[in-house]
Amino acid sequence: MDEVFKALADASRRALLDRLHAENGQTLNELCDGLDMTRQAVTKHLGILEAANLVATRRHGREKLHYINPLPIHQIGERWIRKFERGKLAALGELKRQLEKRDE
Amino acid sequence: MSETTIDVRNFKPAIVYTIYIASTPEKVWEALTHPEFSKKYFSGHAVEVDLRVGGAFIMRTPDGALHISGEVIECDPPRRLTFTFNVNWPALVEKLGPTLVTYEIEPAGETVKLTLLQSHDREISDDILSGGRAGWPAILSSLKSLLETGSAPAIAMQPPERMLAALKEMGIETP
Repeated sequence: MDEVFKALADASRRALLDRLHAENGQTLNELCDGLDMTRQAVTKHLGILEAANLVATRRHGREKLHYINPLPIHQIGERWIRKFERGKLAALGELKRQLEKRDE
Repeated sequence: MSETTIDVRNFKPAIVYTIYIASTPEKVWEALTHPEFSKKYFSGHAVEVDLRVGGAFIMRTPDGALHISGEVIECDPPRRLTFTFNVNWPALVEKLGPTLVTYEIEPAGETVKLTLLQSHDREISDDILSGGRAGWPAILSSLKSLLETGSAPAIAMQPPERMLAALKEMGIETP
């Protein structure tokens, strides 16, 4: 999990994830297009994202395509966020009870 | 089932999800292909698969209704399973074409790397893909919990509103 946080702690890498989130399955050329980063830098960042399992690559025909893999972030959510959602639901339930009581 | 000739080379992955599971390839394969496991991590759905190329792949809802029907395209236990994965809603396959799902299982040190691919033979809108994007991460996380801890948290699976709206617009009926 350290790898995931380290990979996310960089604006350039988050920008690459944003690009894949907007358009999944891009080649290196497509990802470099319009970015203010050298091809080498993009390659390096993609390597770090792939090592953290945030990006997965597939060959399709002659192309190597990059895909965003949200599973590590999903697991972080499961671990630390779900609990708070439950709290929110309980709070809403309580609010409903209070409001309905007032009508009685 | 209608005879379909599927050439996997015509299908491009739209979704590629990978997860590491502390288990063995054989156990992951078993969990992916047996209903007593899938009921626990796949929101109560039972998988029934005839593990040979051309064999049927189906999933039933908790009340026994046929939800997914498909056909096995590639079968290499415990490494790779590809099948058509068509939601049983009228006109869906006609309008969207077949959906292909692949499970790839690779040993990775003391764990197993499981990759799920959802592929299509045409461009599919983000609205339609939102179904898979919402569902698969929860299913794969739940499968991981089941294999690593012996129990899986129950997941509620509701098709996203934007997907239902997009299907309706295309003339595909949903329950």
